Amino acid sequence: MQYADTDLRSMRYEDLPASVFGPAEKRDDTEQIARPSLTYWHDVWRRFRKNKLAMIGLGFILIMTIACILVPMLSVYSYDGMDYTSMNAAPSWKHLCGADFMGRDLFIRIMYGARISLTIGLVAAAINMVIGVTVGGVSGYCGGYTDIVIMRIVDILSSLPSLLYILLIMLLLGKSLTSVIIALCFTSWTGTARVVRNEVLRLKQSEYVLAARLAGARTPHLLLRHLVPNAMGPIIVSTAFMIPNAIFSEAFLAFLGIGIELPKASWGTLANGGIKDMASYPHLVIFPIIAICLTMFSFNFIGDGLRDALDPRLKH
Amino acid sequence: MRLLDVKNLRTIFHIGVGNVDAVRGISFHVDKGEFLGIVGESGSGKSVTMLSVMGLLPEYASREADQILFDGTELTALTPRQMRGVQGKEIGMVFQDPMTSLNPLYTVGQQIEEPLRIHLGLKKAEARQRALELLDRVEIPDPKTRLKQYPHELSGGMRQRVMIAIAIACEPKMIIADEPTTALDVTIQAQILELLDHLKKNSGSSVVMITHDLGVIASMCTRIIVMYGGLICEEGSAREIFYRPKHPYTWGLLNSVPQIELHKHKKLIPIPGTPPDMISPPAGCPFAPRCRHCMQICRMMPPPETVLPDGHRVFCHLMHPNAPKVEREVNA
Amino acid sequence: MGWYILKRLIAGILSMIVLITVAFFMMHAMPGDPFSVDDNKKVDPAVLDRLRDKYGLTKPIGEQYLDYWGLLLRGDLGISLKPEKQDQTVNSIIAETFPLSAQIGAYAVILSLIVGIPLGILSALRRGKATDLSIMAFATIGISVPTFVIAILLMWLFSSRLGMQISHWEYDFQHYILPVVCLSLGPIAYIARQTRSSMLEALEQDYIRTARAKGVQEWKVIVKHALKNALTPVITYLGPLVAGLLTGSFIIENTFSVPGIGKYFVESVTGRDYSMIMGIVVFFGAFVVVCNLLSDILLAIIDPRVKLDR
Repeated sequence: MQYADTDLRSMRYEDLPASVFGPAEKRDDTEQIARPSLTYWHDVWRRFRKNKLAMIGLGFILIMTIACILVPMLSVYSYDGMDYTSMNAAPSWKHLCGADFMGRDLFIRIMYGARISLTIGLVAAAINMVIGVTVGGVSGYCGGYTDIVIMRIVDILSSLPSLLYILLIMLLLGKSLTSVIIALCFTSWTGTARVVRNEVLRLKQSEYVLAARLAGARTPHLLLRHLVPNAMGPIIVSTAFMIPNAIFSEAFLAFLGIGIELPKASWGTLANGGIKDMASYPHLVIFPIIAICLTMFSFNFIGDGLRDALDPRLKH
Repeated sequence: MRLLDVKNLRTIFHIGVGNVDAVRGISFHVDKGEFLGIVGESGSGKSVTMLSVMGLLPEYASREADQILFDGTELTALTPRQMRGVQGKEIGMVFQDPMTSLNPLYTVGQQIEEPLRIHLGLKKAEARQRALELLDRVEIPDPKTRLKQYPHELSGGMRQRVMIAIAIACEPKMIIADEPTTALDVTIQAQILELLDHLKKNSGSSVVMITHDLGVIASMCTRIIVMYGGLICEEGSAREIFYRPKHPYTWGLLNSVPQIELHKHKKLIPIPGTPPDMISPPAGCPFAPRCRHCMQICRMMPPPETVLPDGHRVFCHLMHPNAPKVEREVNA
Repeated sequence: MGWYILKRLIAGILSMIVLITVAFFMMHAMPGDPFSVDDNKKVDPAVLDRLRDKYGLTKPIGEQYLDYWGLLLRGDLGISLKPEKQDQTVNSIIAETFPLSAQIGAYAVILSLIVGIPLGILSALRRGKATDLSIMAFATIGISVPTFVIAILLMWLFSSRLGMQISHWEYDFQHYILPVVCLSLGPIAYIARQTRSSMLEALEQDYIRTARAKGVQEWKVIVKHALKNALTPVITYLGPLVAGLLTGSFIIENTFSVPGIGKYFVESVTGRDYSMIMGIVVFFGAFVVVCNLLSDILLAIIDPRVKLDR
């Protein structure tokens, strides 16, 4: 006889019929896992997607990237095309962000600036990552004297404000996109190298790597199979934060007047150029600043989102 | 004489994915001067139960109880401020991991003196003197030097002794030891257990020992509570639990305790499966999915309490008169 | 402790030697010299050559390098190569300009600490609530918006809206406040974020539960047990922060016409004033090394584990 749950509940426990004390049908739910298990990267992506700010940031950067590639190709203006009839023109349909003191369209200049800033950010971060991972990995993996020597160099390079090196390198190499990138990369990789070295050291001592070694895994195999994916989180995060730092430093150099050569202009140059006439033509400063700030926000949001997604323990 | 009487304690953790019912309405008591063991695997709610009594739950947890009566004081009615007068003074607590449970930035002495100065209002010099005595009582050699050392300069066993010294500093009526030996070497484990037993006998305070290891408490506990899935399965004197266990989970636990009696060639019988998902715990008996005697009723409703004549409490449908008579399978 | 300091000191001196060498040769590898910049085009080349001779620029580079070390070891940073400075010594220029930078920097350090740390603690204690969200929103702005943008905005607000004179420097509250605020916004944001996250981490530690189990008052749990542990990353950041702020921010000093050392540095870099650049590099370097050392010592005092780790 089958009883509905409600019938049984209304009954006194002592009166429960013998039939419900029959053996239950076998259910193979002992080993079942309640929630679907995801691979690590799926999980990271799922957590990242949940972070609204990070997604907005990512969206903004994608739009900015596409715009800065397409707009200059399609626009009637060029970054150095002067139009004396619209000197210092206020924003209008003709000039979306107005025009500067030589009548150059500001919107298109900002788009060119975006090309420069994004290139610098991405290239510097990529170089930074490659050098940092290589140096940090070698240092951590080899250990011993190699490690000591490399870490001393890293200490020396990072013990002084990077700005000193950057200024000197800029003067040595002259104003150009390449020299800006070289200058920015000269010392910035030390941070990544430290992170990677510490990760590798930590992993080297971890039990599962020991287990893999005992199981007969070869050195390079071990490095690729275990160390790299596990050290990936901190590497990605420090790279993600490197992008806004590089853009920031470039804007800073440009603002001091030692960035890339004119008439090309990065956002820092544009802001600096507009500052003289800020009182009368605020748009010359405001639009470049908005562009810098939104980009910085976006990258920082993405960085925060990645950090939280890669290491949920750190999420607070 | 009852020191602590808990009625219908429920503790819920509010985490992102949902609510975790860590403790699902349990009642138990601790007698004065007894050595109570609470046994269960991780996630059974044994630690949370005692943390709830102590008022030490994280902020995302909520506690409800019909009664938590400690030595005549209703703890559920106390303000956090009043509760602090109980924590460390009336109830001392020893935690699982002595490596992380001591503040790395303060000396051993400073950490032992803290409760003395808060609760007993001792001056610095008096507190120092007491701390010395305490280190001596927990059998730490050369207490004068140890007092000035930092936790990282001590071994795991030493640190756990320091933790015990902190817990007994104000002569509490009850000491809660939450898996105090799990993080230690086997040889050190025995020493720490001996120390706890020794201290209990000298001071007359009650000890509640939380552990997942029946072997650990076999020799000392007067009474044992077995927990599973946020509920009590079985409770009784140590003798009853070890020699006349009634709950299939207790059988499982006993069968999975390794014994060093080699000539008997006993086989370990593991309990199949994994503990229940506490976010959506099963409707009936939490152990039903892993129980080899599972009946239809077990999946429908949680088993009620059955009290045997000698005070042995069992929560199992097998105790119902209509249930089949099942014997514990013994490892042979 | 003594060993530790000695070791760090030696490492600092080593990095100074490397820095000086690199900077020296880098500077001399630059095309042109102080006397071939645009302003001097009208000047008779013979005069310029005499000047080069006078300042020893015609000697072989190795000799110049050794000469420079000779000067340095006597504590002399050389003579400015700019004719308009009228042979002022670099030492005296630094002595003249550094105090102002240091003063503004010190105010900024103090401001960042007394605002940043409490904000971070508050944010951690009110996690997820409106207070936390607004503090973190502010901190994100502080980190994302470049200093010069803040400088521009503040300048625009105060000079064109409120009619303040910023184009020249005066030693009064009005003129101090803007650079100090500007300099400290970034560090405030950074310190607040750092304090918040390390505070949250500390509050989750087992020893906090131990403290609560002892019946320690809540504020003491937060300040004595959690905060002290949470401050270690902030202290690590303190060294570079103090060094960076005290030695003056180039941008801020340029924007607000502060006659500090940062402004001089930019001027001398663009003017190829060899001894001035070297002087400031050496001075900055030494300063940073000392600041880092001090913050490491402070850390070792607070955290007894540090000494063993190295």
